[in-house]
Amino acid sequence: MAFGFLMLASILRFMAKGWVYDMYIKPKLFFPYYGFEWVKPLGETGMYVLFIALAVAALFIALGFLYRFSAILFFIGFTYVELIDKTNYLNHYYFISIMSFLIIFLPAQRYFSIDSSINKKITATYAPNYFILIIKFQIFLVYFFAGIAKINSDWLLHAQPLKIWLPAHSEMPLIGNLLTKEWVAYLFSWFGCVYDLFIPFLLFMPRFIKPTYFFVIVFHLCTSLFFNIGMFPYIMISLTTIFFTEGFHLNIINAIRSVIRGTANEDAIIYSPHTKNVKLISILFIVHFIIQLLVPLRYTIYPGNLYWTEQGYRFSWRVMLMEKAGTAFFYVHDRTSGGEIEVDNKKYLTYMQEKMMATQPDMMIDYAKFLKAEFIKQGLKDPIIRAQSYVTLNGRGSREFIDPQVDLSIQSNSFLKNKNWVKKY
Amino acid sequence: MKLKGNTFILNVILATLFFIACDKKKIDKIDEEDTSFDKPAMLANYADNVIVPNFQSFKISVDSLVSSFNTFIQTKSVSDLTALRQKYITATSKFQHISTFEFGPSESEIVRSNFNTYPTNTVQINSNITSGSYNLGTVSNLDAKGFPALDYLLFGKNETDASLIALFDTDPKATNRIAYATACLSEIQIKTNSVLNSWNNTYKNTFTSSTGSQIGSSLGLLVNQLNFEVDLLKNGKIGIPLGKKSLGVTLPEKCESYYANNISVKLAKECLLNIEDVYLGRTTSGVNGKGLDDYLEHLKAMHGSETLNDAIKNQFTITKAKLDLVAEPLSSSVNNATSTVDAAYLELVKLLVLLKTDMPSALGIVITYQDGDGD
Repeated sequence: MAFGFLMLASILRFMAKGWVYDMYIKPKLFFPYYGFEWVKPLGETGMYVLFIALAVAALFIALGFLYRFSAILFFIGFTYVELIDKTNYLNHYYFISIMSFLIIFLPAQRYFSIDSSINKKITATYAPNYFILIIKFQIFLVYFFAGIAKINSDWLLHAQPLKIWLPAHSEMPLIGNLLTKEWVAYLFSWFGCVYDLFIPFLLFMPRFIKPTYFFVIVFHLCTSLFFNIGMFPYIMISLTTIFFTEGFHLNIINAIRSVIRGTANEDAIIYSPHTKNVKLISILFIVHFIIQLLVPLRYTIYPGNLYWTEQGYRFSWRVMLMEKAGTAFFYVHDRTSGGEIEVDNKKYLTYMQEKMMATQPDMMIDYAKFLKAEFIKQGLKDPIIRAQSYVTLNGRGSREFIDPQVDLSIQSNSFLKNKNWVKKY
Repeated sequence: MKLKGNTFILNVILATLFFIACDKKKIDKIDEEDTSFDKPAMLANYADNVIVPNFQSFKISVDSLVSSFNTFIQTKSVSDLTALRQKYITATSKFQHISTFEFGPSESEIVRSNFNTYPTNTVQINSNITSGSYNLGTVSNLDAKGFPALDYLLFGKNETDASLIALFDTDPKATNRIAYATACLSEIQIKTNSVLNSWNNTYKNTFTSSTGSQIGSSLGLLVNQLNFEVDLLKNGKIGIPLGKKSLGVTLPEKCESYYANNISVKLAKECLLNIEDVYLGRTTSGVNGKGLDDYLEHLKAMHGSETLNDAIKNQFTITKAKLDLVAEPLSSSVNNATSTVDAAYLELVKLLVLLKTDMPSALGIVITYQDGDGD
């Protein structure tokens, strides 16, 4: 229910900020994900209709109305939107996609919902423990991998990038001055790391739940105060309530209920799905979690510094780890005349796309291929597309990012192939 | 019992942690001096000693240009034409020192595009003059007004002094031409006064009181526009005439103030000087006040083995030196001394990288409205 309301708020916020237009209508080209190149945006009307549908689906999930249908719709719709352009990739969005996938299988409509009041037959007060457990396990993985990712020398030994990000807030009342101190950056770094590593374990211990939850709130409110991360802190704060005992949730439900229509007497009904379904669902979940375990570890198959090359960076719960920025100059080289055109990136890319592309090699390839097609249209014959890119990572000073002589338009984003034209870190 | 004990221990640890945290705060407040950078002082320096004085000086040059034009159309003498052209050169040079500040009042008046869209559209200018009816506020007239249009009107295409004066005197369209030049001049004058008034009345306070680093903060605006200006210098003033966007085919007629013929390099140098002024927080009287350089030093930002500030300052020195080697007129140099111009261009690229990538990154400036998660 909380998930539904938060998603509703997220979708409305997204629309209110005009991001639907900025991200999915205005851009002249989109950067699809590897394997999902066929995903294209729907055009202006289509995108707005889709977002409204997502908002309605989120509301229905919250109210428990047409629950399963709404959950499926929300999952497909939301994931589709995210797949359109990897410029907009955020771990938060990925997390929402996964969560909306998992809740499809939950029997959440069976208690305190419109569905269950319409159709009393489906009402159940107890769900099998494993349904709750899968959500818990997913949250566990997110925190744990985020924690592991923080065990690196930049984060722990250099307090980067917090050493850059925190002093930028020095004008804050009361704590502003404190934020400029080096030890504060270290404290935040170490606390963040320890928090991410241990909080998932603590959450599983019912007797520590109150102090643990207190930390959850403090931690996420801090991140929301200092960083530009949108709804995510609130999502995590509300979702971790799943670790509370049943009594806690019943109290909330009863409180809401007393506002609506007074308390109702009810008998304990245990929801037990058909054995066949249980088997299917179990297999599904096992496969899901194997993937969830392997995907964040895939970076180990690529050589080089992960933060520099970003091969295997996405979908790995690596958050707040890098202050990375870059400038990329693209050149279209005409084989016939030997002349060269420096591309005006602003002409083709939104600000956000240009910024992301300048530091992410796979997006450079996509862009180079787009440019090649564009300039062939303008009359060039088989031009070479090369780029000079300078990137700075965690306050180390910019340096050349890729080999400026390589024709990016003939490179490919294959899954296993290392991008050897990215310079060594 | 065991259960309770554990909770108790945890609570004690928690309480201790908090106590330590609070205590440390207190100690810090007493012992250490303020380690945060005085951003309000930096912004005040920019507003009071850099931005407003440059606008003032620009305004004076514009007023002087207008009155010089009025004298010229009375006397129509060669000496007043020469004086007028000098005033044009001064005003367009002073413009290079305010172009960067395209936020707040300048943004409302769209100063950059209204004052300096080039190359100018001579066909549009001539048709406006012929018809005598035009609205300079429309987008289609953006490249038919401002300094580039005045450049064309006051210097002319292959005109002698005498033949140019004739265009304002005996030419059948002389009256229309005078009216058109007047319209171009008064647009610049009105907008300049409006911008300067806004700064003096309210915006100075708005600017100095927005001390954050987030999007729309004064620091964010200044750094963004500074980078935009470097981009304009690199591309518009040098790169495009040099053929960087046209397969190496040079486009001399795209030089800034092409018709004045020998000030394009000068304007580029003025622009670079202004960029350096803004970076250093250097005042119109040459005093290096509190600026981005001090902020970077304070943050101990590094670039390889040297400080980022040193790297940027060195790059300014090198770029200025390379630009000094380029001879006027730029429209000839792009063809006769291509490699010299190219060398200056390459240094501008390096400067741009430092100012656009390293500096905002080190300052932790947020330049996008969208959410991020630091990856």
